Amino acid sequence: MAKRNLFAGGSRSRGLGLTLFSSEDMESIHLSTLEVLERTGVFVEADEALDIFADGGCSVDREQHVARIPPHIVEEAIAAAPPRVTLCGRDPRNDVVLEPGRVSFCTFSEGIMMIDVRTGEYRPTTKQDVADIGRLTDYLSQMDTYQISVVSRDVPTETYEIHNLQAALLNTTKPLGTGPLEPEDTRVVIDMAALVAGGMDELRERPLIYLCGCPVSPLKLTAGCTNFVIAAARAGLPALVISMAMAGGSAPVALAGTLVTHNTEVLATLVLSQLTERGSPFIYGSSTTALDLRFAAASVGSPECAMINAAVAYLAKQYRLPSFVAGA
Amino acid sequence: MAGANLIYGAGMLESGVTFDCSQLVIDDEIASMIKYAVGGIPVNDGTLMVEDIATVGARGDFLSMDSTLRLTRSQTQPRLIDRRVRAEWEMDGKSDMYARARAKALEIIESHRPEPLDAAIAERLRIMVADADQTIAGAAPA
Repeated sequence: MAKRNLFAGGSRSRGLGLTLFSSEDMESIHLSTLEVLERTGVFVEADEALDIFADGGCSVDREQHVARIPPHIVEEAIAAAPPRVTLCGRDPRNDVVLEPGRVSFCTFSEGIMMIDVRTGEYRPTTKQDVADIGRLTDYLSQMDTYQISVVSRDVPTETYEIHNLQAALLNTTKPLGTGPLEPEDTRVVIDMAALVAGGMDELRERPLIYLCGCPVSPLKLTAGCTNFVIAAARAGLPALVISMAMAGGSAPVALAGTLVTHNTEVLATLVLSQLTERGSPFIYGSSTTALDLRFAAASVGSPECAMINAAVAYLAKQYRLPSFVAGA
Repeated sequence: MAGANLIYGAGMLESGVTFDCSQLVIDDEIASMIKYAVGGIPVNDGTLMVEDIATVGARGDFLSMDSTLRLTRSQTQPRLIDRRVRAEWEMDGKSDMYARARAKALEIIESHRPEPLDAAIAERLRIMVADADQTIAGAAPA
């Protein structure tokens, strides 16, 4: 049999890939974002967040509630956030590492209607649904995290995230994505996770939950949004910030411009997270897509959505941040 | 393919308003197909298989080769997608993919028992939730 020595001297394929931008395109989007962050700034509703921006060296207009962020602070925040984030499961075998190039899948959050699996009926969601979907997600091998998918609509509105987390913790051993917005439910949600982890330090070591939420496009950081980002940074939990801009509505109609406002919103929260606690884990998220101007409806599953997702994955990779994008 | 790290939306319908457990089971299978595809085609001596090609020669077949048996599981093996010809599918009851996914979802929900939380911790969680209902939502004590 012929001896076959190792291949050398060439780059080997590591699978299918897609590159949407040249490095010049990337630089243009990045520089435009820096300009918007510095010149236009972002609206920041909560005083606590304004304080953090001001203390960190940003220019803050208290009357207008606008924070303007100079480029060097943005660049420092990008460099400070960890390129690799490990989301932990109650069962350590379900930990998932997010880092450039690794592809994972999960559910999405805050659904309010359910196709009943037993009857086929279309009905409002319940706490039992959170438990059932948790059990399914726990079982299915391709689901890497359980982003708590639906709202428990049969419990008090103010505490549904707390009920959601309880049902999810009882029925899943995978990492959990949860989206509390008010300081009160955020505190309880973190305490619950700490209880299961064995303490606050243990939770920081093994984050069983990651906190998720959204800015309001264009360029508005609500109190709920800054609250969860600050709380996550202080507790050492990953913050997943999902901008939901809609091209033609809450963002410029041209997709490059949409990416600029999208990127501005996410990087503004990244700055907030890193000014709160340097080095805290951060995930770059997107639900951004086009607004179908004929129907005034978000076009999900559209070519626009697919291209924006590819663009966001590329941006996040260049920033060396883990990314989170729409697949359905 | 762009290298996104966490791709969400499994089980969702209607732009994320509605959840469907059967759809989740289908999406899980689609995710496994996607992961297979983005893995690409590994090219090395073990996969080029020039020796096998020489052994089989022209006009033979590869079904009985050791390597075929050994690498059977390297192929995609969907459980919901049906690759059979129509006649076989008809003889087997003509179930559609959604019905198969729904049966699978029900089976998992009824039978899968994830490792339980420690009972004392579960009880303390229950108390925390009840406390929150009172202090945050102003609910009457249960």
